[in-house]
Amino acid sequence: MSYASFDPNALTTGPKSDKGYREWGLQPQSEYRFELAPNTSIGIKLVDGYAECFGTELATGIAYLFGGECKAVIYTHSGCTLEVCGEPATEYTSEETAMGHYRSASILFEQMRILSLAIVDGAPLDGLNPQNVPATPPHILVLGPENSGKTTLCKTLINYAVRGEPWGHDEWSPVLVNVDPGDGAWSVPGSVSATSVSTSISTSTSACPLGLSASTAPTVWSSNALIPLTYWYGHTEIRRNPVLLERIVRNLGTRVQERLEVDPKGRAAGLIIDTPPAFAPSSSGDYRNSLIKACIESFKVNIILVIGQEKLHAEMQRTYGRSINVIRLPKSGGVVDRDHAYRQRVRNHQIQNYMYGQKVEIPNGCDNGEGSYLFQHEPTSDLSLAPSSTVVSFDDITIYRIGGESMAPSSALPIGASRTVSELLPLHVDPSSPSSGLLNSILALLASTASNGEQYDEELIDLPVQGFIIVTAIDIPNRKMTILSPTSGTFSGQTAVMASIDWQEIV
Amino acid sequence: MSYGYPQPVQQPIPYFSDSIQFRQFYAHKLRGLTENSKPAIHALSMIAQDFVRWADVVVQCIENHIRRIPPPFKLTAFYLLDAISKNLYEPYARHFGPIVVPLFLDTYSQVDESTKAKMIEMLATWRAGAPNGRELFGAVPQLAIEQEVFGTGTSSDTTRVTSAQVLGELQFATGQAEREMQSNPYNNTVRNQLPVLHQLRQFVEKGLSQDELRQILNQLRNITRPPVQPPPQSYPVAPNMSALPPPTTYPQYSYNHAGPSSAPPQSHPPQPAYPQGVLDVKPSFPPAPPVQAVSAVPLAPTNQLSVPAVSDIANLYSALVKAGVVGAPGAPPVASSNVNEPQPVSTDSSSKNISEHARKLLSQRIELSTTGIARYKPDFDELFLKRTVQCKQCGRRFSDDATGKKKLEDHLDMHFRQKRKANKNVGRGHSRSWFTALDDWIHDVGDLKGKSRADRPLTGKLAAAEEKAKREAELRAMFVVVAPGEEAKPFSCPICKEPMKCEFLEDEEEWVWKNAVKKDDKMYHATCHAEAVISTNTLAARLKNEERESRSRSGTPEVSVSTPTRSTPPRALQPRASLSPSPARTSGLKRKAEGDESSLGGTPPMKKFEVSL
Repeated sequence: MSYASFDPNALTTGPKSDKGYREWGLQPQSEYRFELAPNTSIGIKLVDGYAECFGTELATGIAYLFGGECKAVIYTHSGCTLEVCGEPATEYTSEETAMGHYRSASILFEQMRILSLAIVDGAPLDGLNPQNVPATPPHILVLGPENSGKTTLCKTLINYAVRGEPWGHDEWSPVLVNVDPGDGAWSVPGSVSATSVSTSISTSTSACPLGLSASTAPTVWSSNALIPLTYWYGHTEIRRNPVLLERIVRNLGTRVQERLEVDPKGRAAGLIIDTPPAFAPSSSGDYRNSLIKACIESFKVNIILVIGQEKLHAEMQRTYGRSINVIRLPKSGGVVDRDHAYRQRVRNHQIQNYMYGQKVEIPNGCDNGEGSYLFQHEPTSDLSLAPSSTVVSFDDITIYRIGGESMAPSSALPIGASRTVSELLPLHVDPSSPSSGLLNSILALLASTASNGEQYDEELIDLPVQGFIIVTAIDIPNRKMTILSPTSGTFSGQTAVMASIDWQEIV
Repeated sequence: MSYGYPQPVQQPIPYFSDSIQFRQFYAHKLRGLTENSKPAIHALSMIAQDFVRWADVVVQCIENHIRRIPPPFKLTAFYLLDAISKNLYEPYARHFGPIVVPLFLDTYSQVDESTKAKMIEMLATWRAGAPNGRELFGAVPQLAIEQEVFGTGTSSDTTRVTSAQVLGELQFATGQAEREMQSNPYNNTVRNQLPVLHQLRQFVEKGLSQDELRQILNQLRNITRPPVQPPPQSYPVAPNMSALPPPTTYPQYSYNHAGPSSAPPQSHPPQPAYPQGVLDVKPSFPPAPPVQAVSAVPLAPTNQLSVPAVSDIANLYSALVKAGVVGAPGAPPVASSNVNEPQPVSTDSSSKNISEHARKLLSQRIELSTTGIARYKPDFDELFLKRTVQCKQCGRRFSDDATGKKKLEDHLDMHFRQKRKANKNVGRGHSRSWFTALDDWIHDVGDLKGKSRADRPLTGKLAAAEEKAKREAELRAMFVVVAPGEEAKPFSCPICKEPMKCEFLEDEEEWVWKNAVKKDDKMYHATCHAEAVISTNTLAARLKNEERESRSRSGTPEVSVSTPTRSTPPRALQPRASLSPSPARTSGLKRKAEGDESSLGGTPPMKKFEVSL
């Protein structure tokens, strides 16, 4: 398929529906946007030209399947023709795109990576060093208000980064950090995690905004088997326990730094941090400054990207502008306002996806035999997983809850009053108490520590998560409960932490 | 031979989604290996066979295991290592190769005498442990271990110039030039010097003869050393220089401004650090003066200093070309005739040089600011799409050069394997994996994709091993030009009785006998000859040989005749036959290839199973 064969002067064409699919001709630097209704799926095939989905280039002639209420964008820089089969709830094209800015920024970050690697390698630069570009790996903090496209920007920047080519090495593997507990990232909502990414992250469903964590299914791209390091915050809202979140963020930062130190060449790829909307000043609370500070310090941030909001940009510039480059990028016109109900549905999807995986219907016209379509970069539409259900005794698992049961925010307490329960104190949860709230609750199974000796309670919150389990039934008289776990295993002697996230299987 | 896909499992083994799970599983299994039990070792090697795609995980697990367990159990774990390496060989022996030297030596120093004896027996079997009759883990690790265990026999040869030594000095000279470049990127003389140095390095790595090495070394010293310096002959430490990673110089931090920054470069104490330890070397180099401090006055001396250096290197280079050491056809960029012109460094020959693509990216001018980004309009597709080949199945791109095509090939193989795996797994439930443990997450850099762990700190022993490798390579690179008309005539090395290999050397445009050396009108394998020279000269080696043979345990068959040479002949042409070769034949002139299965020596009595292809 030659690049020249596409005529960029052709007008953007509307849908032509004669053969069960619709053809869209896209002008250079424009995008095709779509939103899906629940339980529908579409397939998008690149016929001609170059196109990409949040930085992931599409292969020609292969239908990319989207499902799970996905809202996404196909962007083309030089013009392209797409075939769309299936019925999106909304679809349109637009020439107002922020991708140009995002691409420029990504080239800038690429320069930083190249410079850092050249220094590690001792490669001569021959005076190529661009002015004003620091020769340090980019450590980027992305900030912005709700519905500004933070996660999308992070994904786009990562996808552009892994398309770069460090000489003499495989490819960049930047670290993607998610400190937004409202976004499940690679597992379930309430988690805070980081992973290193070496190939493009796919966009297919709202349940996996940043790609998939490892499962036993055969994976085509190694990015499909992302290996995150996960900590459990357990709430979707920051204000539930900002002290705990800060501690977790700092823990994660320490671990990420340790990892980067092991690998001086990998270090050059840098890292990107996705943040919760509560870091933007629209929400009240004095905790956000300390959380932003925690991110900047523990991840050694040297670039702050602010999407949209000028107020936030000015504030960051004032506070950190002396030592950190603060850059404002425009918000993409394609960002959709997601309401509370939608976010709630997405969270349920994510938990469902963590346990059961995902499957989409192949829309008519996409299935032309093996290899004719891709879902999550896999040549299959069925990524179902089989979790395991186990009955365990109350005594097998020790369950904790961090902080008081129902904590009001500090600001809501009477002036001068202090908490009676420390935010970081693990409290034992008794499953035999009817008010334990364990039923349908998501528990984080903590990684067992190497030392089998005595453990201080507070150390619990510094432990990463081994996996998530859900209590699906409690039998108090027999002191037993049924737990759903992603994979089989023994649970005796394990420690789990519950919080405020519940999930119920929709039958 | 392809092991890309695991063979059908013969016993129930859990299914693993990823290396992490497998690592946990294998590490757990290993912990159960506490006594020398044949079935246990067999079972563990079967798993290793089935999961050959995670060979690196198996290797790491075993290494960790050996390092962690108390000394009494270490031998058993070594038997497992031995069994896997011998019976499965590829890729395990290759994976164990880099770690086996420190692992063996560290363990050796911890265990008691009787275990030591057993380890030596095992070590002896490694000499011809590979299916082709060569050293199981390669000649170099074998030699490194043996020398450490039996004492070195090479001390007689102190004035030898090793290529490692030359490389070390080259590294130093390159580092110096690069530092100079960083502080003064427009210094043309240094810029010319660098490619020449890189080029020289490649030649030395390929292997040169003693005389040539000495020549290079002397020239290098003239360049990097002021004349007052006494001509140093042997630095025990210098070879280790090559083990140093390239200097990590973050310009903004690493210049410590120790010297007076305005002083001309000559005033810095020049390189006195050589004869001291490796670690002393770097800090004691004077930092190059920062750019802003270099005023017009000190610049001139800098040039005066560097100009002769360049021409020296160029002279040396042209001398080498003339001498036929450096093949003229293979060395285009560094023209000896015109040294003043900046020479482009060929990009694919050295990973140290920044790629064309990176250059193109760096030449983009973007300001790191909100407006800078808004104003900059890159032709992104031009930057990322034009010189690439694309995988038709997933859209991923690879650069349009040799490395990129190789990567694409691997990538397509991966698609193929995944597809096969997917078809095989139809109807089988998959499940989400547990997250990886913290330590594994921090250290899994590159594990997943089998990247090498290049950043493992080099211990003295490893550095020694590296030196051995260089020496070995140097020997192997020696050749004798085939007399006209004798191409078809078979030659055998008088020491190992192996046929010599005849090859066409493109650089020379001649047929040559590879790995060959001519002494007294007789042609030997260069490696055999070197070993023979060493071992005949060393009483200790002979004593050790005899001692080891007398220690062989009862299960071992006949002890072969002791001869001065303890070389292990290359048996490239020998069909792969015995997977567990005779251990006691440390000095054998000829091994039995077939039917020699009773001898298991240091290996646990474990039967070989056919590694299916």
